[in-house]
Amino acid sequence: MVNLEELKSEAKRILKEGKVKYIIGYARDTNGLLPKPVFIKKEEEADKLIWDPTCVYNLTRFIADEKRKMAREKKPDQRPVGLVIKGCDSRALVVLLQEKFINRGDVHLIGVSCENTGVIDERKLQKKLKGKKVEKIEFGEKENFIITTPEGKIEIPASEILAERCLECKANFPVVSDVLFGEKSKRKAESPFKSLEKIESLSAEERWAFWKAELDKCIRCYACRSVCPMCYCDECVVDTINFAVTADTTAEEKAQKIKWLEKSPVASENFIYHMVRAIHLAGRCIDCGECERVCPLDIPLRFLNKYLEKQAKELFGYEPGFDPEQPSLVASFKDEDPQDFIR
Amino acid sequence: MEKILGKKSLPQWIRKLSSYKIYAPAKEGELWNFKVIDRPESVELDFSQTALSPKKIIFPQREVLLEFNSNENEVEVRQILSDEKPSVIFGVRPCDARALTLTDKVFGGDFEDPYYWKRRKATALVGLACTPPPSENCFCLSVDGSPYSKDGLDILMTDLGDRYFLESLTEKGNELIKAGRELFQEPKASDKKEAEKIWAESAKKIKRQVKELKKIPAKLKGMFESPFWDEESLSCIRCGICTYLCPTCHCFDINDEIVSSSPLKGERVRTWDNCQFPDFTMHSSGHNPRPDRASRLRQRIFHKFQYFVERYQNFQCTGCGRCVSKCPVRIDIIEVLDKVRDYGS
Repeated sequence: MVNLEELKSEAKRILKEGKVKYIIGYARDTNGLLPKPVFIKKEEEADKLIWDPTCVYNLTRFIADEKRKMAREKKPDQRPVGLVIKGCDSRALVVLLQEKFINRGDVHLIGVSCENTGVIDERKLQKKLKGKKVEKIEFGEKENFIITTPEGKIEIPASEILAERCLECKANFPVVSDVLFGEKSKRKAESPFKSLEKIESLSAEERWAFWKAELDKCIRCYACRSVCPMCYCDECVVDTINFAVTADTTAEEKAQKIKWLEKSPVASENFIYHMVRAIHLAGRCIDCGECERVCPLDIPLRFLNKYLEKQAKELFGYEPGFDPEQPSLVASFKDEDPQDFIR
Repeated sequence: MEKILGKKSLPQWIRKLSSYKIYAPAKEGELWNFKVIDRPESVELDFSQTALSPKKIIFPQREVLLEFNSNENEVEVRQILSDEKPSVIFGVRPCDARALTLTDKVFGGDFEDPYYWKRRKATALVGLACTPPPSENCFCLSVDGSPYSKDGLDILMTDLGDRYFLESLTEKGNELIKAGRELFQEPKASDKKEAEKIWAESAKKIKRQVKELKKIPAKLKGMFESPFWDEESLSCIRCGICTYLCPTCHCFDINDEIVSSSPLKGERVRTWDNCQFPDFTMHSSGHNPRPDRASRLRQRIFHKFQYFVERYQNFQCTGCGRCVSKCPVRIDIIEVLDKVRDYGS
């Protein structure tokens, strides 16, 4: 089991010794069930840190912000950022290493184990508790969660309230870390692509109807992109911020800047947005499921990314986010790679 | 005008309103949203909070303003104004109706936006008092609202168990009741008392509040350059959820969508825009006056609790709590305002 006091002491130690510039972790929020991402700069603030099954966020996402900030500073602090990291987040971090977006020395990884379970799905839990207030949620010893309510403690088997992505998890403790808390245990997950069975059983027409209905709901808030640790491009096709304008740029050139898609949230444009994102994540997505969690309209985005994850595995035997030395899928090839799709 | 309507008569009333397009909350998966209703008997007003407010109906996310069509010598331009039949939206929450009264100020005044007002005037809002409050993050009481506010509504309905207590508040509301007149009964004095009791109980159940909000506009004035915004926005991921889900946010963009470039043919389209996106304030020179998340979070708070108050004497927030409930990283506007109030003291 992760000993939280030990984790806090380690955080205090590295802050005190100046080993890291700050630590990104989880802290209890004053309101609601889920915690908040926190940025801890001072030793005394490290007591805020928590680790429990409500820590759903993929904090690796914030590394891109730090990198951008450093690029703007004249004399950036070169020390690493401390990062509390669970299994799936660590795989995302490995992808960033594989793509050379960051160096290993940019981060100091405080690994935490999901203790043979994972993180919760907030809605599943609330349904289960039928309005009971949650005071505390802990990892149990027997692949379960122990939930403290004002009326007492309840034990719930993890599989009943786990986030969907955790049911298909491939790494429930960090694959890379500088210090690791908790057990290096491996839960036997369901088949890694079980959730796809539902969508794969549909005919092409049914699939089209399914996606049309789902993507029609999209309001293009781009939360799926914004929360994604892999969506670190400086300029995304959906917002054009880096068009180089000089004194010689004419009005026509400005007006004729390529627009990849319209702002209108209609089926054709929504499809382009989601397809571009899915294709860009092929062989990179490690299924942290954050895109689907944050979608305010409940679009089942994991299906898209999961499907391409399966393609990468089946066609190229590729699984991203395990080995920092392995080149990324799209930046490498093997002689035996299938070529029958090239015509 | 006050009336009583048996719950079982609601579909019959809706059927009588056949000259109107009817919207009501409908459930898809786990989410409620306003949908056009074809089967009146499917309407059940036992929803909690719709994911999107009825803003999406009055001020759609995409709206064609004009069409253009060119031939060799001339360009033909045709204004497109909605010619849909009048609508009735059932199940409007009081905070969402109040939000429209705020947006009215923006699209009204010296220049009336014809597109907005055509829909607004052709739409009747039948409200449903919040008994109990639909979200744990409701805070309408702090921003001059209430779970039974009548602002902006044409009718306010209150659920009395087996029947609704209705108050018609406008001529539009009276028309709707007249259309189904035989279905309504006159209320007894005890019915109104019962409704008032339910309202008072519901108000007590609102857990969240911003204390001394009145102090915020003046306080904000001195905080434009404060490092406070850097700290508060550290976890902001720059998505557009808070703004697009907000019932009062109304910023938009206008683009030409070209169908054919030769001969030139296309539409000029208005779409929602979002101050949290990096290109919102991007100048064509390459300069971006709001280049980071701190300046964008500050803009959201300043617009709602400073600029709007100065210009229109109202907070531009009705306490629906959607931005709090749906923020991917739990940035909580109530907490931010509390911190602003106490900042530096």
